Amino acid sequence: MRFFQASSVIAGMVLLPSSLLIPLPAGAADETIGSLKKTSGQVFVVRDGQRTPAHPGFKLQSGDTLETGLDGSLGVILRDNSLLSLGPSSHIAIEKFVFLPAEGKLGLTARILRGTMAYVSGLIGRLAPESATFVTPVATIGVRGTHFAVRVSE
Amino acid sequence: MRHVRRFAVATLTSSLLFAACAAPRPPAVAPPPAAEPKNAVVLLPDADGKVGRVIVSNQAGQRTLDRAGTATRILDAGTAPTEPATISAAEIEATFGAALSAQPAPPRHFTLYFDQGSTELTPASRSDFSAIVAVIRAYASVDTSVVGHTDTAGDARTNQGLSLRRALAVGALLVAGGIDPGALEITSHGEANPLVPTGDNVSEPRNRRVEVTVR
Repeated sequence: MRFFQASSVIAGMVLLPSSLLIPLPAGAADETIGSLKKTSGQVFVVRDGQRTPAHPGFKLQSGDTLETGLDGSLGVILRDNSLLSLGPSSHIAIEKFVFLPAEGKLGLTARILRGTMAYVSGLIGRLAPESATFVTPVATIGVRGTHFAVRVSE
Repeated sequence: MRHVRRFAVATLTSSLLFAACAAPRPPAVAPPPAAEPKNAVVLLPDADGKVGRVIVSNQAGQRTLDRAGTATRILDAGTAPTEPATISAAEIEATFGAALSAQPAPPRHFTLYFDQGSTELTPASRSDFSAIVAVIRAYASVDTSVVGHTDTAGDARTNQGLSLRRALAVGALLVAGGIDPGALEITSHGEANPLVPTGDNVSEPRNRRVEVTVR
């Protein structure tokens, strides 16, 4: 009897964290979608209207906007293992990033307002190649599992 | 001798003339400025040399880039993207050099294996462990995934719990190695995502694993 009680306590301890560790539902605003790995010069992240200077280790969320100054550049690894980097005077909004492969929910939509960006696709590009899109003021770029760079002038 | 020298002088003169012609000179009358395309998109090879595709479109047309080192340019929203054309390495560097040199090192992947039904690492995986801690430190990673898996031996519900306990065990070892718990995201897939597909109730050492991705 004591043995069974003890084991159920252990089972309870083991099971408890699982409820905390289940990934948040798609679109949850505070879910980490990647992090800044490299920065130089002026780099900002705009979230909920707040513009914050950002450094390597800054955790990104869906909806964040990334900005670099005249001398700035930055590099990000997103949760699907894709690599996104910006040159100087660049401005890109990560409008949607969903990476829940177990539920088949995958997608990336980013809007590049100006500057230069390089992108190396990751698991979203491999698992759902139609669902990664970059939008500029004059065109739409559909990514089919690849490495590319884009310049956007105002 | 004299003939040779004259030849040499003639060659020198013509190459100077050529250089003068090739060097950009301000034209006497400036031509009307050509409108600069608002966008340029260039396809680059992947790190492993493979080349994918990008499709560039707007209301006026669509182009597909499928050869590395080619680019399409978009004058404005009402003009179709230009036919893909080779872009020089010098132009790629001049335009995209800063963005390309800001690219982070790609994520690193590690797989740790377990004894059957257990959260104990196999001896080989135990000796791999210190390398993972070193890479997390070298990457200054704040976003490392630890994902637990099982083989299909036993029932799926038990395996769900086992895969989570394996991931938690690896997480605890990483934290004991000095890694910040806030840098780890611990999840589990039970027996649902085998590395080696098998039937049900198959003991497969390669599926009893925790995958660590350091970003």
